[in-house]
Amino acid sequence: MLLKFKGEKNMKKLKLTIEGMHCASCASNIERSVKKIRGVKEVSVSLMLKKGTVEAEDSVSEDEIKKAVSKVGYKVSKIE
Amino acid sequence: MNHKHHKEKIEDAEITSWKKKLFGSWILTIPIAIIMLSERIFNFPLIEMPYSIITILVIGFPVIFIFGWDTIKGGMRGLFTFYFNMDSLISLGTVVAYLTGIFYFTGFVQDYSGVAAMIMAFFTTGKYVEAKARGRASQEIKKLLELGAKKARILRANKEIEIPIEEVKIGDILIIKPGEKIPTDGIVVKGESSVDESMVTGESLPVEKLKGSNVIGATINQDGILYIKATKVGKDTFLAHIIELVENAQSSKVPIQRLADKITSVFVPIILILAITTFIGWFFFSGDLSKAIGVGVAVLVIACPCALGLATPTALMVGSGMGAKRGILIRKGEAIQTMKEVKIIIFDKTGTITKGKPEVTDIKSLIPEKELLTLSASLEKLSEHPIAKSIVNKANIKNYKKVTGFKVLRGRGVEGKIGKDAIIIGNQTLMNERKINLSKIIDSIEKFEEEGKTTMVVAKNNKILGVMAVADSIKEDSKEAIRRLNKNKYRTVMITGDNERTAKAIAKQVGIKEVIANVLPEDKAKMVEKLQKNCMVAFIGDGINDAPALKQSNVGIAIGTGTDIAIEAGDIVLARGSLIGVVQAINLSKATFRKIKQNLFWAFAYNVIAIPLAVGGVLHPVVAEIAMALSSITVVTNANLLRRKKL
Repeated sequence: MLLKFKGEKNMKKLKLTIEGMHCASCASNIERSVKKIRGVKEVSVSLMLKKGTVEAEDSVSEDEIKKAVSKVGYKVSKIE
Repeated sequence: MNHKHHKEKIEDAEITSWKKKLFGSWILTIPIAIIMLSERIFNFPLIEMPYSIITILVIGFPVIFIFGWDTIKGGMRGLFTFYFNMDSLISLGTVVAYLTGIFYFTGFVQDYSGVAAMIMAFFTTGKYVEAKARGRASQEIKKLLELGAKKARILRANKEIEIPIEEVKIGDILIIKPGEKIPTDGIVVKGESSVDESMVTGESLPVEKLKGSNVIGATINQDGILYIKATKVGKDTFLAHIIELVENAQSSKVPIQRLADKITSVFVPIILILAITTFIGWFFFSGDLSKAIGVGVAVLVIACPCALGLATPTALMVGSGMGAKRGILIRKGEAIQTMKEVKIIIFDKTGTITKGKPEVTDIKSLIPEKELLTLSASLEKLSEHPIAKSIVNKANIKNYKKVTGFKVLRGRGVEGKIGKDAIIIGNQTLMNERKINLSKIIDSIEKFEEEGKTTMVVAKNNKILGVMAVADSIKEDSKEAIRRLNKNKYRTVMITGDNERTAKAIAKQVGIKEVIANVLPEDKAKMVEKLQKNCMVAFIGDGINDAPALKQSNVGIAIGTGTDIAIEAGDIVLARGSLIGVVQAINLSKATFRKIKQNLFWAFAYNVIAIPLAVGGVLHPVVAEIAMALSSITVVTNANLLRRKKL
């Protein structure tokens, strides 16, 4: 129910569970890396919850996001 | 449900893994420390040079490259990919220090290899303590995640069987015995009991449940057997919504954090450059390579983005956890920052200050009372409005008259035809619009309104028939909540669609001084906007009718009604109807924000003082590392201290 934003077609919101984060710059590194994917609008990573939310166009694949996270040294254990 | 357990495991795994590293590294670092101290402090070497250095290099290797491997790996990756993190600083610092032990034999430098091991040992210790403190910060939220029932007892072919919660479907009949957890949201079909709902709504008194009552999943059935029909399962349950709210709040940002976030993101590269510059500077001016290395390493390990990065999220985590325990759900981190600027608090009347369950208390009729009620109930039967329902309940009839051309006149009343007669029921505004003469009953109207009752006038073919008075009783603790807000110098305002007299009577009863009456539902947001001209405004409403006003206000507090939770409206959502929750939400927001400010202050102050000291060569690298570990522990521990605040 919260997945779609009114007025913004073809946008999706993904929730990531991320393993391996242990400091504040980890979270900002992941945000920076995922933001570089084309079509990603908003990224917010919480170190405390070990979770992140990504708002992106439908064209962005889960694999792309996973890769962007693992590139900086962390692992996405779940996307929903 | 599964992912919740999964998350739990990750967190424990982190603590366990740091614990292992901590023990491993200290078992080896203690002998190193003894060798170093005996030689350099007590001047009584246990092992002769240069064998002592070889020993330290051998024992220190596993400390850095086995127990510290994750840190070294992550840090080096950061250095090569330009995604620097905290590990980059530590790994560079330890590796450089370790290598001095090897280069000692070339005769250029003093040996720092023992220092490398000590830095790593203190680093793992700091991380372990920090991970534990972070775990503590999220304890309430974790409890919430674990709250859901795992199993349900279901009736199938007249047999009671236990099934995993995931298999429960909407419409299933579930049986809950005394002392058991209600598996999911549902409606009671048989049985009577009292239910402890404190874990999800914060309501401390047990709630009576009987046939037709709604029950919330994860609450505890106390004394009777309940048979319930599941109405919501999985992600749609009340508990799932609460969890979602809390999690979303955690990933929302508090504006004050922005500067800290910006600094955190450029912090590590800046420190790297600073460390190199310091090293070059010291070498250039003192010509002492060893001292230059020592100072450079100290700069690397003293700098800590963690304190800055953790300042806000840990305090927000503790604060939202404390709230969740009391049925106060902070949806947006921004709200806690805005809250301290709020000067005016506007309350909606119906359902917020009052219970929202109006009852007809008086009738003044010019025709037989029964007849008036039959006419009214026939019309009001077709309306959803709470006042309409109260009239239908009062009439309590079986045979309604046939109504044609029924229309709801929003904020004013209803109209329709019974046979050839045009009937209208509504407030005085409506009667004045239709130019209906009220002189025969105006005394009764005024009397009822002065008692805080809402009056509904009934007219047939533009002739007055009578008036009904509807009273909506005030929630038990509304008065106390408003007294506390007034005491704290808030300007409290009540807004309502009711007429001025009724509104003022209610306002007087609860202690509100300002009243904005006769406001149509759609105009509430405009009124909020008007009051916003000079200061920040909080609006308290039920989230369904008041959504626009909640959005318009600077801080919207949506009040929950039973099992419905207005997720979309409101920056803060109260699971429980009580207005004491509003007072608590305000206190909690302010306390949390103060904690964030304190934390940011400490984090900034630490870095501003510690880094120059390290650059100046005043601090030994090991002392620098200890200071760094303490800085982030302090911030997380300070956040945990928020719990001491009485709400």
